[in-house]
Amino acid sequence: MTPLSKIRAFIVRDFKSWWTYKLWVTLDVTGTVVFIATYYLVSTIVSSQKVAEAGYTLGGYFSFAMIGIAFQQYVFFAVQGISESIREEQWHGTMESILASATSFRLFLLGESAFRFIIASYFLLGSLATGLALGAQVYLNLGTVLSMVLLTALLVSSHVCVGIMSAGVIMKIKQGDPVVWAFSWMTQLVSGVFYPLGLLPWYLKWIGYAFPLTPALDGIRRCLQGGETLLSPAVLMDVVSLVLFTAVALPLALWVFKAGYNSSRTDGSLSQY
Amino acid sequence: MLREEPPKLRSELRQTWGVFWAQLKIFLSYKTWVVTETLSTVASIAMYYFMGFQVRPGQLVDAGYGSSWLAFALVGVASTHYLWMCISRLSHTMQHEIQDGTFETVISSPIRLRSYLVGQSIRGFLVSGYFMVGALVVGTFLLGAPLVLNPGTTLSSIALLLLLVSSHLGIGVIAAGVILVYKKGDPLTFLFAIFTEFFGGVLFPLQLLADYPVLWAIAKVMPYTYALEGLRKVLLTGQTLLHQEVLSTAALLGAYTILLIPLGLLIFRAGYNRVRTEGSTASY
Repeated sequence: MTPLSKIRAFIVRDFKSWWTYKLWVTLDVTGTVVFIATYYLVSTIVSSQKVAEAGYTLGGYFSFAMIGIAFQQYVFFAVQGISESIREEQWHGTMESILASATSFRLFLLGESAFRFIIASYFLLGSLATGLALGAQVYLNLGTVLSMVLLTALLVSSHVCVGIMSAGVIMKIKQGDPVVWAFSWMTQLVSGVFYPLGLLPWYLKWIGYAFPLTPALDGIRRCLQGGETLLSPAVLMDVVSLVLFTAVALPLALWVFKAGYNSSRTDGSLSQY
Repeated sequence: MLREEPPKLRSELRQTWGVFWAQLKIFLSYKTWVVTETLSTVASIAMYYFMGFQVRPGQLVDAGYGSSWLAFALVGVASTHYLWMCISRLSHTMQHEIQDGTFETVISSPIRLRSYLVGQSIRGFLVSGYFMVGALVVGTFLLGAPLVLNPGTTLSSIALLLLLVSSHLGIGVIAAGVILVYKKGDPLTFLFAIFTEFFGGVLFPLQLLADYPVLWAIAKVMPYTYALEGLRKVLLTGQTLLHQEVLSTAALLGAYTILLIPLGLLIFRAGYNRVRTEGSTASY
């Protein structure tokens, strides 16, 4: 079997398992719609002044929140998904069987995360579509859409590193993964998901710059709410930040993963929960 | 000789304590989880604090909730999180037992299902209580949310919280029954969590839904809507159970309790009997 066909097999397996639980799929979709609708109503009591001051001029607070929620949920589902799939394999005692097969661990990780990113993308598009249906306004032209696609691709690549790191940690400590925690709650607090960074004190703002979601959200909002493209210096700076993060995080993530994996193999806890 | 002995109260209490103690030990063994969940609570309240800087207080004042959106959101977020953790405990445990293949062991042991369910629930109440008190302490004393805290409002809040949980206990039992049959992912509690946040008006004044008759009607059917309204009256405006409005909210929650618990037990029993008949208690 070629590596590509193995990844396809992982995707088909995960899709079949996901599709079995149709009620769960329906609830996932309902949850996304209701979450966006909640912030639609919140936006009616929120002033758009701070958002406009930050350079996101079109669409006001609702467009701002819609983009923040959609992309934060996107990377959270994807990152959490990788560590969750590792936990599930450990839980069911199937991890050792997979590792004993002719599938390398790198391929296994890629296969486990592929479907999570596909499904997260589906929910991302769903969130944006719901927001637009409820009246969110964004600049949609070739320049802004292409810039957004590139920023999203960089966001994904930076979070694949985070997912790999998280998988290494969860393999060792089993529950309460601090990496997933940092990329869910901490990003909501310091990455400007629900409010512009200008509202934060300087020390939280600096913590925010350590997370790739911060420049990604800024860049995407500049494109969709400010009409800027990759040619704008501010968006270009966001792109450079994301590339730098990925370049630093990838070797670190592989090292953390290897350490967690080797440690679990040494103490014989690969299948233990 | 083969006749089953009727259970003694003392042995039931011991069984309940055993289940609770075992679950608490498991909870405390996941130290990283406890630390990250505690920090999440602090982070989430801090997030609402910063979000509050953008809110125009006009509509909150018009709706009678005062001018602090942080205080408004704090009561909503803390109570909905508390409720969700309490209610999802049973279904979550049930899913784990089925997934691990230990559910058959539990029901075939001498432990009574009632002791098992009560022991699990007490653990749920204590753990979620810890997070709720943490959220209120951080919001009130660190971030300055102006809650009215005195003996009268504290006692009234505790009474309303107990009624809030009891009025939703039936939903938790229904969810546990649904898990027994469908195995996957406590759908009812998930649905409940997202719907309560939206229809209960956790982050915005409920009056905003009045323009949408269908949504308004759904909001008015949910017991959480009344409980949150009562809690806000107590903690934001200083009313107590001695006030007519708060007292009628308490009575309404009592009525929901009387209606939903037997319904929940009925549905759980049906699910329990179905999986035993099908022989699918251990299948996943």
